[in-house]
Amino acid sequence: MPMKDRVDPLSPAGALPMLILRVLQSEPLHGYAIAQRIHLLSSEVLAVEEGFLYPTLQKLLRKGWVEAEWGISETNRKVRFYRLTPQGKTQLKHELSSYGRMTQAIQEILRTA
Amino acid sequence: MGEFLRRIRYLLNRRRLDAELQNDMEFHREMAERAGNKNFGNTLRLREQAYEAWGWTWFDRLIQDLRYGIRMLAKSPTYTAIITLTLALGIGANTAIFSLINAVMLRSLPVRDPQQLIVAQWSALHDGKFLSARFGDCSSGPHGATSVTGCTLPYPFFQQIQQQKNLFSSVAAFAGAVTLNVSGNGAATIAQGEIVSGNFFETMGLRPALGRLLDAEDDKPGAPAAAVLTYAYWQRAFGSSPSVVGRTLRLNNVAVTIVGVAEPDFTRLTPGKAIDVWVPINQGAALQQQWVTTTDSNLWWLVVVARLQPGVSRQQAQSQLNTLFLNASVNEANPVWTAKDSPHLVLLPAQQGLTGIRDLYGKPLKLLMAAVVLVLFIACANVTGLTLARSAAREREMAVRLAIGAGRRRVIRQLLTESLLLSFLGAALGAGLAWVGATALAAVFSSSNSWRPLQIDLHLDLRVLFFTLGTALFTGVAFGLAPAFRGSRANVTAQLKGNTTSAASGRGRGRRISLGNGLVLLQVAISTVVIAGAGLLLRTIDKLHSIDPGFNTHNLILFDIDPQLAGYKDEQLPILYSKIQTRIAALPGVAEVSYSSVAMLSGGVATGAMNLEGHADKSPFPMQILFVGPNFFTTMKIPLLEGRLLTEADGKGPNRAVVNRAFVQKFLSGRSPIGLHLGQGDSKPDTEIVGVVGDTRYGNLRSGNDPIAFFPMGPSRANFEVRTVLPPATLMAAVRSTVGSIDANVPVTHLRTQMDSIEMLLFSELLLARLFGLFGALSLLLACIGLYGLLSYEVECRTREIGIRTALGAQRSRIWSMVVQQGLVLVLIGTLAGGGAAFGVTRLLTSLLYDVRPTDPLTFGLTGGLLLLIGVLACSVPARRASRVDPIAALRCE
Repeated sequence: MPMKDRVDPLSPAGALPMLILRVLQSEPLHGYAIAQRIHLLSSEVLAVEEGFLYPTLQKLLRKGWVEAEWGISETNRKVRFYRLTPQGKTQLKHELSSYGRMTQAIQEILRTA
Repeated sequence: MGEFLRRIRYLLNRRRLDAELQNDMEFHREMAERAGNKNFGNTLRLREQAYEAWGWTWFDRLIQDLRYGIRMLAKSPTYTAIITLTLALGIGANTAIFSLINAVMLRSLPVRDPQQLIVAQWSALHDGKFLSARFGDCSSGPHGATSVTGCTLPYPFFQQIQQQKNLFSSVAAFAGAVTLNVSGNGAATIAQGEIVSGNFFETMGLRPALGRLLDAEDDKPGAPAAAVLTYAYWQRAFGSSPSVVGRTLRLNNVAVTIVGVAEPDFTRLTPGKAIDVWVPINQGAALQQQWVTTTDSNLWWLVVVARLQPGVSRQQAQSQLNTLFLNASVNEANPVWTAKDSPHLVLLPAQQGLTGIRDLYGKPLKLLMAAVVLVLFIACANVTGLTLARSAAREREMAVRLAIGAGRRRVIRQLLTESLLLSFLGAALGAGLAWVGATALAAVFSSSNSWRPLQIDLHLDLRVLFFTLGTALFTGVAFGLAPAFRGSRANVTAQLKGNTTSAASGRGRGRRISLGNGLVLLQVAISTVVIAGAGLLLRTIDKLHSIDPGFNTHNLILFDIDPQLAGYKDEQLPILYSKIQTRIAALPGVAEVSYSSVAMLSGGVATGAMNLEGHADKSPFPMQILFVGPNFFTTMKIPLLEGRLLTEADGKGPNRAVVNRAFVQKFLSGRSPIGLHLGQGDSKPDTEIVGVVGDTRYGNLRSGNDPIAFFPMGPSRANFEVRTVLPPATLMAAVRSTVGSIDANVPVTHLRTQMDSIEMLLFSELLLARLFGLFGALSLLLACIGLYGLLSYEVECRTREIGIRTALGAQRSRIWSMVVQQGLVLVLIGTLAGGGAAFGVTRLLTSLLYDVRPTDPLTFGLTGGLLLLIGVLACSVPARRASRVDPIAALRCE
């Protein structure tokens, strides 16, 4: 599956980078924990496939919005934790605001049309 | 930027980061399984996708293609070697000629900000009433042009230009090259000097490599004599010794102090000039150069170059200077032109105006470039044919690749990479060949023009490098495209089934063969064109050699001496010459000796403006003149037609002259000139014509028989002619030592035979013919290899068929002729097509040919015959192999 840079931000797939950044805003997490948290916080509506998660994480690493560091998991295993960088924080703000604008616009149309 | 660095860091640490990712995914799988979720995706595919996210896939594939390509090439070393060599010859030849073109025509002047420099050039309808010295700096107009141009100006006008400070930030002038007798550094030698104004080096923006360069102080009258060496001369004559600064040298017996050495890159402004030493203008007169004058407005000898003031356009400066020029040359007391001669002055960019050897070598170089480009095309066509044949053998491999999922584009990319690999290999080898070839050619150019030394500075320019790389790229794509496309279209099913013959006899075959045929046709056609060109040039040389120049050119030794450089005064010269004449005539094997101001057929003429008593046109007309010593006509064996020859007495008494028949035809319509008087310039005709001699060629062989007037020799440098009865080569050493025994300080220069001199005249035609011949042979060789390869491959493919035919009773000779016929048809069509193209193309050579039509039937006929003969030879080898096919073996291996 080729990785496209600009996917539709309204679809769950296109929103994944934003979701990951948001989830990492509170604390660094490892890959499984990110998937779990998204699953739980969306009341089990969204299930992140591994085929999406890891390539997206690589993309975020490439762009410099997250960085990886070694840590110990809850099962006492050495694994990489992903953490939000300052550029990542800025990017998250941008994505949140543009997402908010788009949803607001759509809602207005749905309400009044 | 940060992203790029991150990507680079990823690339360098790939393995470790990939292992870390794998670890992450393993952990994720464990955790998911614990939670009961077992559908974790394909790890390997996920890792690939993760890797793709970094955008380095293209690089990976390139490395893969390269490694595979190198392996494939290493597996078949002969094939690789043949192709690399073919490409090396093609690309190398192109690079060599291009680097020459770069050095002569493209390279910008080796000074600071060359685009700011301008040079002044004048033109008018007729020669003005002044003496102009020309050193070949700018073009003097095409032969037979209606206007006269030149770039030399008189010193007073140069001073006027210098005063225009609002137009030019600095104005400099130079003249040369002049021959200088150098002593004080070992044996007396000859060096080429250039006379420059004091601010010359400053205007050019140069720096010294050693010591200092000339400045305005050195050019003041009475300043101590200073000189600057060129870097090459310093290396050659002084062994790069740092103690050269401050040394005294004697130039033409005048002591000068060497004050410095110029930087290595700068040798001269005018392309091709060879300079060894610079002296300031105010020293020039001291060096006995009579034409170096700072006061006479009628001696035009300086080339003026200047830097424009910022903000001043060339046109502005030009119109202002033109006004000054007209004032100085037309409107003043002693005008050198009248207004109806329409003289004017233009300012050209120095790069454009200083043409130097570009005039002489521009056209031959361009033709050479065309020839090597043709050779490159042939080489490409050849290599394409060979690669096509090879790709047919690799069909199986391509079919497998396509079957397991490589896209067509991927296969094409792989094959193109291999082609580019080959072409860059060929280019690397070719660059080495080019360096050798270009240096050799430049050396040939420098050594031949011994009466006017030539120098071509070859530089490993960026331009040449880009040219080579570009050629390699173009070549690789050109010859790689067709096999790549063909290879990617492999018939997968048929190949994998193992049924090679049915695959071969499929639709692809017809297309493949006709492409191969077409390529051989192309090569043969191109070879025909180049060989036809070579043939025409060779015939031209033959014709030139057989021209009767009007005097006997065999058994004649020539040499120059210039005793004035060694300090001789005018009065001493006739005595010296007479002594030399007598002593050499006394040598055994010498029949006659004589001397003249210019040697015939040595590339130089002397001209002067003459007026003829009783001639309708009262104004002086320019014509060729020659000053001769006693015994000249007898030595040269020029027949006397009327009246008498000049004797020794004529040199001392009232002026006498002898003219040739062409003079009589042109100016007197055949009437006898005996008793009429000639005059120089505007002065009263006081030289009596006493005889008429036969016509001779003078400056070169091509121009017809022009009118010449012969006068008794005055005090000047001399060229001696020695008529021998023995072969001239055996007497050259004796002649040199005889002159040396009279005065060792007078160097004998340009000792040669008359035949050598004529060869030097024909130098560019000879060189061009040889090079065309070389390229013709090269392209023919390549075409043969191509034909041989094609037919061999054909025979390979049809082994089974030939086996069947032989088994059914076909004679060997029948098989042989079958193959040869196929090849010969190609050669025939190619030759005819090439001949047709040559008819149109050889017209480009017209200006170099002499007495040979560009469509000369003899040349074309011989060329066709040669090609057919070679074609038969090339076909006969595979034909022989075909006729020897063992039917049992052929039918068995299937």
